[in-house]
Amino acid sequence: MNKEDHISEPKTELCLKEKGSQAVSRRTFIQSLGAIGVGSAFFSAGAVKQVKAQPVSTNAEGLSNEQLIDMYTDMLKIRLWETKIKDLALKGSFRGVAHLYVGEEAIAVGVCSALRKDDYIASTHRGHGHLIAKGGDMNLMLAEITHKATGYCKGYGGSLHITDMNLGILGMNGIVGASHLMGAGAAYGVKVKGTDQVVVSFGGDGSIQGSFFTSAANSAATYGLPWISVIENNQYQIWVRCSDVYAIRDLARRADGYGIESRVVDGNDVLAVYDVAKYAVEKARDGGGPTVIECKTYRWYDHYGFRGAQIGRDGAFGLGYRSDRELRAWITKDPIPRFRRFLVGEKVLTEARANEMLQEVNQTVEKAAAFAEAQPVPEPKDGLLNVFAQGSVPLHKT
Amino acid sequence: MPKSMRYAILEAIQGEMRRDKWLTLLYEYQSPAASWGGRRIDLEKEFGRWRARFSAIDENWIVGGAMGMSMIGVRAIAHIPSMTTLIPYELMFNHAGKLRHMTGGQAAFPMVLWADMQGRAPFQAGQHADAGLESSYARLAGLKVVIPSNPYDAKGLMISAIRQVDPVVFCQYPVPASGPEVPDEPYSVPIGQAAIRSEGNDITIVGYAPQTVEIAKAVEQLKQRRISAEFIDPRTLAPLEQVTETIVASVKKTGRLLTSDDGSYSFCNCAEIIARVAEAVPGAKFKRLAFPDAPPPGAPEMINYMRVNAADIIAAAEKMVRG
Repeated sequence: MNKEDHISEPKTELCLKEKGSQAVSRRTFIQSLGAIGVGSAFFSAGAVKQVKAQPVSTNAEGLSNEQLIDMYTDMLKIRLWETKIKDLALKGSFRGVAHLYVGEEAIAVGVCSALRKDDYIASTHRGHGHLIAKGGDMNLMLAEITHKATGYCKGYGGSLHITDMNLGILGMNGIVGASHLMGAGAAYGVKVKGTDQVVVSFGGDGSIQGSFFTSAANSAATYGLPWISVIENNQYQIWVRCSDVYAIRDLARRADGYGIESRVVDGNDVLAVYDVAKYAVEKARDGGGPTVIECKTYRWYDHYGFRGAQIGRDGAFGLGYRSDRELRAWITKDPIPRFRRFLVGEKVLTEARANEMLQEVNQTVEKAAAFAEAQPVPEPKDGLLNVFAQGSVPLHKT
Repeated sequence: MPKSMRYAILEAIQGEMRRDKWLTLLYEYQSPAASWGGRRIDLEKEFGRWRARFSAIDENWIVGGAMGMSMIGVRAIAHIPSMTTLIPYELMFNHAGKLRHMTGGQAAFPMVLWADMQGRAPFQAGQHADAGLESSYARLAGLKVVIPSNPYDAKGLMISAIRQVDPVVFCQYPVPASGPEVPDEPYSVPIGQAAIRSEGNDITIVGYAPQTVEIAKAVEQLKQRRISAEFIDPRTLAPLEQVTETIVASVKKTGRLLTSDDGSYSFCNCAEIIARVAEAVPGAKFKRLAFPDAPPPGAPEMINYMRVNAADIIAAAEKMVRG
């Protein structure tokens, strides 16, 4: 962040309740998509030439009002569901761990809005948002992350491992980089089956350095797999600044070395993300092979847990490895009010309706919390099940 | 000439690929083709490149790709060469072996890791002549590990492995063709069941893969020395429950268990077998023969001295029975 920036302290829970925001016309907004933030850059395979993105606005222009409202709802769901987890944890009534996605909602929603229900996603440790955007049930998710017997994974998995195979969610995964490889493998399977499904692998900025990304990217490129790797560059790998461990700034450039087309996009702009994702999805579906999309964004909370967080305040402050100023600067780029301004300006939503939606989603989240709270804990002996498809393993205590 | 182990395995895969139109083989350089008695199997030619796919030298892709495919219901076989046994270890350990459990039974990996294994052969040295790594996989939760000692078992175990819903590590050591004739038709050898190769009353001897050759020689010579040995080939190393039952029943009869392993002495798979039987048969005598805790040297003088052979087995058995 530029030290000369004068950034005012953001209001609490702020941006969601922000009133009187300035409307932006749809045309103006969409035309500006390519120029917002880092812009949308395109690296062609074979040569590192940076060109203006191809008609970026086209795909987002095709979204109906209903779709736009669904996207906004999903972003609210992610924000409020995770904020609820934070509140529960800070009150001491949360059993489990969580890696919060708050601040990055535009990526999950922008990407998953471009997918069909039968497409696949492979997610990460920071994957609650991906799952909600792909249709995950917030009740079952909350039951799972508190390790209840009726959660998505019957309490075996918890926060890092929520899976819903029926929704094409190949699972969150606690090992960094594995999502790329599992996703590319699934994409190979799609080719064997002969369907037109596509697979999205999400991964953070830390996920592309280990060999799994290399194996996935090379195979996807060589075999022309319907695979899209979405790199969520939130600037930090656990507590290490990305720029301290990579020599390049636009991580999507790595794709060029494998012969994969790539794009860099403002990850806090849901329509810009959608636009690029839609392009990549259609290309993959038509047999055009893989794409790597880097989304620049920021993690509002700590790597995991709730250090520096407070009830009623967005973001985790006072963390030693980053400055509060940097966080505040990113909070002013909150993807949710930004999208709300667009929707109100476009008359897709009124201010009144937008406020109502906030209340409605809040109620849904409260219901999820109550649901999870009421669920039974697992039977201890069930830990011996599900090692193999059949039977249980011996306890060996007697 | 009998079918080789390799031909028997390819025959198993060919039959399964004909049954299952999605079953896919990923491999590196070991072309999935072989000839026997005027017949030729060529999986790439028969099923096309998508289903019999060579890859870059990239075991993480071969195994990780197979995992991703199998997760969406496309059964897969990942064939890796012998010096790379542990490269995909993390994938098998943290993903294939755990995700069913972690997801409360939702995720399944119907895949086979077909691992070429090296015996303790001279002139290879260090990285290319190691053995016993099957115990590294056998100790991981959620994986089944099979280790055929003859072509008949290899074909039957490969068919069982492919038809499993659980991930299976199929370890193929170089073993000369022996045992029953391999039928042309598909058949299965059940995973989890040991084979009693010869019956006896004085001592139980357990070993698998290349060690079965040494044990078979030793058992014949022990017979001439009036020692009746019961020879058990576990065939499956994980899960080990049924195999243990078979060995326990034998040791209850003989009172002695001698194991012979090409793996390193510490933590070799037979150490686990001895521990289990010791818990179940108090008072029995035990002896573990294995390769020293050293890398395999290339010079034949050294490696042949270090490796367990028939003479070592005979000496140990005589000492246990008479000493």
